[in-house]
Amino acid sequence: MFYREAGQFKTTYKSDQALFPIAQDRYFVIGVVLFAFLVIPFFITDYWANALLLPFLIYALAAIGLNILTGYCGQLSLGTGGFLAVGAYASYKLMTSFPEMNLIVVFLLSGLITALVGIFFGVPSLRIKGFYLAVATLASQFFIVWLFNKVPWFFNYSATGQISVPPREIFGFLVTGPDASPAITYLFTLTLVSIFALLAKNMARGNVGRSWMAIRDMDIAAEIIGIRPLKTKLIAFAVSSFYIGIAGALLFAVWLGSAEPTEAFGIDQSFLILFMIIIGGLGSILGSFMGAAFMVLMPIFLKNFMVDGLGLQPAFSEHVQIMLMGVLIIFFLIVEPHGLARLWQIAKEKLRIWPFPY
Amino acid sequence: MMFFLEVTISGLMAGVMYSLVALGFVLIFKASGVFNFAQGVMALFAGLTLVGLMEKFGLPPWAGIMATIAVMILLAWLIEFLILRRLVNQEHIILFMATIGLAYVLEGLGDVMWGSDVKLLDIGLPQGAVDWLLDDYNLYVEKLEVAAAVTAVIMVIVLAIFFQKTRIGRALRAVADDHQAALSVGISLRTIWVIVWSVSGIVALVAGIMWGSKSGVQFSLSLIALKALPVLMLGGFTSIPGAIIGGLIIGMGEKWAEIYMGPIIGGAIENWFAYMLALVFLLFRPQGLFGEKIIERI
Amino acid sequence: MSPEPVQTRIFEEEILSVSDVSLSFGGVKAIQNVSFDIKRGEIRAIIGPNGAGKTSMLNVINGFYHPQEGLIRFKGKARRRMRPSIAAAQGIARTFQNVALFKGMSTLDNIMTGRLPRLEKGIFGEIVNVFLQAAYLGPARRSELEQRKYVEEIIDFLEIQHIRRTPVGRLPYGLQKRVELGRALAMEPELLLLDEPMAGMNLEEKEDMSRFIIDVNDQYGTTIALIEHDISVVMDLSDRIIVLDYGRKIADGTPGEVQSNQAVMDAYLGVPHE
Ligand SMILES: Nc1ncnc2c1ncn2[C@@H]1O[C@H](COP(=O)(O)OP(=O)(O)O)[C@@H](O)[C@H]1O
Ligand SMILES: [Mg+2]
Repeated sequence: MFYREAGQFKTTYKSDQALFPIAQDRYFVIGVVLFAFLVIPFFITDYWANALLLPFLIYALAAIGLNILTGYCGQLSLGTGGFLAVGAYASYKLMTSFPEMNLIVVFLLSGLITALVGIFFGVPSLRIKGFYLAVATLASQFFIVWLFNKVPWFFNYSATGQISVPPREIFGFLVTGPDASPAITYLFTLTLVSIFALLAKNMARGNVGRSWMAIRDMDIAAEIIGIRPLKTKLIAFAVSSFYIGIAGALLFAVWLGSAEPTEAFGIDQSFLILFMIIIGGLGSILGSFMGAAFMVLMPIFLKNFMVDGLGLQPAFSEHVQIMLMGVLIIFFLIVEPHGLARLWQIAKEKLRIWPFPY
Repeated sequence: MMFFLEVTISGLMAGVMYSLVALGFVLIFKASGVFNFAQGVMALFAGLTLVGLMEKFGLPPWAGIMATIAVMILLAWLIEFLILRRLVNQEHIILFMATIGLAYVLEGLGDVMWGSDVKLLDIGLPQGAVDWLLDDYNLYVEKLEVAAAVTAVIMVIVLAIFFQKTRIGRALRAVADDHQAALSVGISLRTIWVIVWSVSGIVALVAGIMWGSKSGVQFSLSLIALKALPVLMLGGFTSIPGAIIGGLIIGMGEKWAEIYMGPIIGGAIENWFAYMLALVFLLFRPQGLFGEKIIERI
Repeated sequence: MSPEPVQTRIFEEEILSVSDVSLSFGGVKAIQNVSFDIKRGEIRAIIGPNGAGKTSMLNVINGFYHPQEGLIRFKGKARRRMRPSIAAAQGIARTFQNVALFKGMSTLDNIMTGRLPRLEKGIFGEIVNVFLQAAYLGPARRSELEQRKYVEEIIDFLEIQHIRRTPVGRLPYGLQKRVELGRALAMEPELLLLDEPMAGMNLEEKEDMSRFIIDVNDQYGTTIALIEHDISVVMDLSDRIIVLDYGRKIADGTPGEVQSNQAVMDAYLGVPHE
């Protein structure tokens, strides 16, 4: 009986309302966070940072953002790639127009700008619902990518149409640009992502989250008990886009260093992040992390397995990889449509009664 | 004036292509409530299979088409057996995701089986401009596009007859309204699903042939699926006439916008114009042109 | 059944009046020229055969349906159309004929949603609120705990402590109805609309539910409008009864009066119309 909630009676609502009411959960999370902050930075290499940890963290943040909108508030969106682009381009314009601006401020502002764009594209959600809304969000996706391709002001008239991040420091440490060290970029990203994950968790378990879920589960009943749908949905759009915007800024400025709208922010990104929240678990912050980890790791495993393991041609293996990815996704949906977070919960419940299953 | 007409006609013809994809989509959505994102990739897959079979085994076009139809029916059966029946009572979003997974599978499979370079698809459809229009009215209209339009019309008629006159067709309509009703007609839900997916597969093949004859079988084929989505929004997810008329409106609107608006605001607007058009339209009519009115009850 | 019929209670102040309301859907006339009033503090039943327009009437009262004709006056303010969320803010809460809980949420969270309209703020306040909640700072934490306290009282009152953390989708029907009542109570309504709160319940559950309704009316002084098919329950609980049939009001009065009304008997015994 390592893991139990029986026996830990909550004497006050205050402790019952705590972030992780079960002690074992709390220790586990604290352990992971300590490890991530205090151990990993000493061993991190360029490869680990750029191929694994940065994409994992950044996609997790984007997945939290999409999960707020789709998993918590029930508004299916296929426009994530576009909102990532808004965050990325906002950070680029801010960094190049105001070289003195503190990086933290740059990222926060990028998020806010994306939130405004998100509110704008969220307005139709009052009238358009379900899959109609999902298709409508594609309008923002395509329009935004087109805009960043067509209007040279956004890429500072660079000849290639690409944007490249200028080197910027924070507290004397270089965070962006090719010379930034992996430990610093990792720590910077980890800090932002941890803080925002915590904030998201707080929102999700409080009144804001309840109003989102009420709209998700039954919007008419929600309205009748006095929840205003437009306001609630717009807050979800705003918060979600804020998160995705910051993820986009990190993706461009800290991880990739340079970007071009069609490749980096295309509709494939939208789907990728949607897969993350579905495989991780709709309406779960932890699930957003799990889904991001899964979708970042899977292609690497598949590639290593096929190119190095089986010795297939890279081009051929790419096709097989696409196919296998599809197969795995379908397989997961069939086996556990509620995602990895649910599997984790079930495992915990098993542990809780272990070794006496009665 | 001639120019305007030419633009309009070429828009309408492009619209027919969108309609063909949208049509297959509507069939599936109506009968099973599944938002089949893979419809466009199915067109690509069908086109690739047809080319592959004709090249590999030297089949004549008609035999190739028959063989591809068989493949599409087999595919429908596999999809039902491996995916749909296992996700039967899941939420719509899960099924939608599964079709995105399916799109990946088909895309990878098509490439693995037949290679990924652009293939020419020639089953002997007429090419070039319609002569008398060009000579007498100086109007440039592609024969192929006319053929596509004629095919689309024939297909709609055939589908209409199929739905109105045959027992299976009536069962399909019943299932769209009420799953219980279909059972009373004596056809199992699974059979019905295999049938709709097969029919959609065949519709996808037609779309693949038309598009492939025009610009070769290539990945961009699956992108017309994305164009079919605003068509669906406009026409309503459940309406066959909606798919056709929506396609025509989108095709036409897109061409006009490209010609008359594009130069002003920077070109390449066809990527998003259709979506914006559909979006604005939907704001005024949330169920689309022909979709059933959404009644909210509690 | 539960406590013997209360001796006729007298109510003075009108809380709601419905005058000459008509509502139709296409050709279907769901409500035709119906007028009645509800007095503050009473339990008012609405009965009638299926399709009589009872649910539609509740939907009109809380702003979900907009009648083509007529006026609704609540707490002295008259209106014909309004948004449901405004009706809720003015103190009208309800439960639904087909349970309309938020399936993905626990009992506790469902009832907590009933507190949401109480916390409405202006645009600026909302934005501040989101930030406070995200950080779980001062006012947000305090308000969360206050609401939790209020909701726990309701949970105790309805005797559903044991299912506090259970997702409502997993609860049996009878308990779901109870949770729904809890959610409505959390709104601290002045007028509570209950649409067939005992449908599909066994005798014991019905007795529990009757007791809750009486207690709510008693302890909180909440005015209640109740749709119910079980005539004996209606006769026991209600102070006055409205009878609807084919969208028209065919009787209105105390249980005794209604019971002796010929038109009512006809409607219930299924005497053919015309
Ligand atoms: N949203 C709606 N659209 C169309 N018809 C409706 C709607 N709501 C109710 N009706 C019709 O109005 C009539 C009254 O229904 P309802 O109020 O539900 O009756 P009751 O609750 O008394 O059983 C019925 O004929 C019903 O079909
Ligand atoms: Mg009713």
